[in-house]
Amino acid sequence: MDKTARGYRQIPVYLKYLINAVLLAAFLVLGNALLSSGAVNRAQSAVILQIGIYILLAVSLNVATGYLGQLPLGHAGFMAVGAYTAALIWKSLPGKNIGIIVLGLLAGGLLAAVTGMIIGIPALRLKGDYLAIVTLGFGEIIRVLIINLPGITGGTPGLMSIPKHSTFMVVYITVILSCMLIHTMMKSRHGRAILAIRENEIAAESSGVNTTFYKVLAFSVSAFFAGVAGGLYAGYTGILTPGNFNFMTSINILVMVVLGGLGSMAGSIIAAGILTALPLALQSFNKYRMVIYALLLIAVMIFKPSGLLGRYDFSLSRILEKAINGRLFTKPRKAGEDRA
Amino acid sequence: MPKKPVNSNMVPLDGLGIIPERDAGKPPILDIRHLCVDFGGLRAVDDFTLLIGRTEIAGLIGPNGAGKTTVFNLLTNVYKPTQGRILLNGQDTRGKSMHELNRLGIARTFQNIRLFAGMTVEDNVKVGMSHGYSDGVFTDMFRLPGWWRTERRQHVRALELLDLFDLTDKADSLAGNLPYGDQRRLEIVRALASEPKLLLLDEPAAGMNPSETHELMDNIRMLRDRFDIAIMLIEHDMNLVMGICEGIAVLNYGKIIAKGTPKEIQQNPVVIEAYLGEEAAV
Repeated sequence: MDKTARGYRQIPVYLKYLINAVLLAAFLVLGNALLSSGAVNRAQSAVILQIGIYILLAVSLNVATGYLGQLPLGHAGFMAVGAYTAALIWKSLPGKNIGIIVLGLLAGGLLAAVTGMIIGIPALRLKGDYLAIVTLGFGEIIRVLIINLPGITGGTPGLMSIPKHSTFMVVYITVILSCMLIHTMMKSRHGRAILAIRENEIAAESSGVNTTFYKVLAFSVSAFFAGVAGGLYAGYTGILTPGNFNFMTSINILVMVVLGGLGSMAGSIIAAGILTALPLALQSFNKYRMVIYALLLIAVMIFKPSGLLGRYDFSLSRILEKAINGRLFTKPRKAGEDRA
Repeated sequence: MPKKPVNSNMVPLDGLGIIPERDAGKPPILDIRHLCVDFGGLRAVDDFTLLIGRTEIAGLIGPNGAGKTTVFNLLTNVYKPTQGRILLNGQDTRGKSMHELNRLGIARTFQNIRLFAGMTVEDNVKVGMSHGYSDGVFTDMFRLPGWWRTERRQHVRALELLDLFDLTDKADSLAGNLPYGDQRRLEIVRALASEPKLLLLDEPAAGMNPSETHELMDNIRMLRDRFDIAIMLIEHDMNLVMGICEGIAVLNYGKIIAKGTPKEIQQNPVVIEAYLGEEAAV
């Protein structure tokens, strides 16, 4: 065990990585076993895949809203770019191997990122409500473009018989990898610059942060992973219609991020899980389903306006470190309290 | 390192201003000529001309609303001057963005504290270290060796800088939770992190008690000696200004009404009038 100057025992970095890797692999094996053994029925496994896809959508939107502090409303547009790109690639490259799947997802993400950059460069000159309106407009433009390019996208009826590549394994690994990449980016100097813009743009700029660059970067990263999620979505449904990517989809994703807590990845994940599973779980109360959904949102916003988790982020190693130091249930000290 | 005199002999330069004798051989770090800015019909800063030596501690004082912070905002290109020019280290700052100016060597603190309140103290300082790292975002995402190197370098450097102001043991607290005085100090540390040649401090002692102010004076001198930088400060606390500034400019209604050493400023009837009104000047 490493020790800091204050005698707080720390887990060495490689061990942290190892613990996380082992747990993630265990979940993968467990999930795969559950699904293939038939313990989970078809409807339930569909929900699990949907949850995975929405987790990635929420986590990616969180980069632009929670971390960068902007309010884009065109997330479904980026998702659509990724979905159609991946679908077209998969349709034209028959066969199911890992190379083709990765190619489709990556191409979808990259094209979405490029779209994000093209939209972000002019749109990010605006702030707050104005940015929301402009991105909303761009999101709709993407949808209308898809409708009006029937030669490529199938137009309004949509794109059919897309190979269903989104198995549990594919969704799980993609979502976990994406979350990890976003996490590692945020724990770096680029991530700190993005957070600094959220905290105080003028101070960030005068501390030497190129705010335009980092805004576009965060926006593109957000769009990239939305595109990847779109690809997963295409491989999950097998059918894409422009109606899947309307304004309501963007709002749904935003609700997940806000409900989970702006700036908290764990919050986005939990909220995406709850809000995707809830409507399906409430199917038996079909009449009151939307009422319960709405009441839940209102309750959270009244009692916890910062979202379920606020800005808290889950860290297993932090909890373990607290446990081995016997401080699991003690609150962290506030600054200034310990000044002798 | 040799201690520089606190209030050194000032020598004239180009007939435009005075700089410390020790800086006389070198071009001034900041050369402002005939700076004007208009807000609508109001001329907020009028014909502002000032030179600051390489290692000078300069003061900018004046009654409330005189335009002092506006001058800082002009220097950091928050506002664009209507007329005049600013040479920072010999380079014209016109048309540069704020972060480019930071790279050229100017860093500042704010009158109303602008920390990254939701980030830790250490991260606040690390944000200030925005130059001299070339790793791309992929290096960071995949934690390639470059990421480890950068993190280690920034961590060590951040703790070194925090140590100057005794903030090391608060490195992990959120900046917003710090007591007021520490927040002011942290802003200075963050500004230093970008390795400026000129540090602008906007009312660094505001809200500090006399002993804290005294400590701050020592710290400002220490910074100048240690990093060999020029410091320009706006301050209302006259003990601080007269105690550490070598050259002082007095601003009133956007115009410089007096420039000189602390002694000259204290005896200048125009300054006394501006501060205390006409009666007292007699």
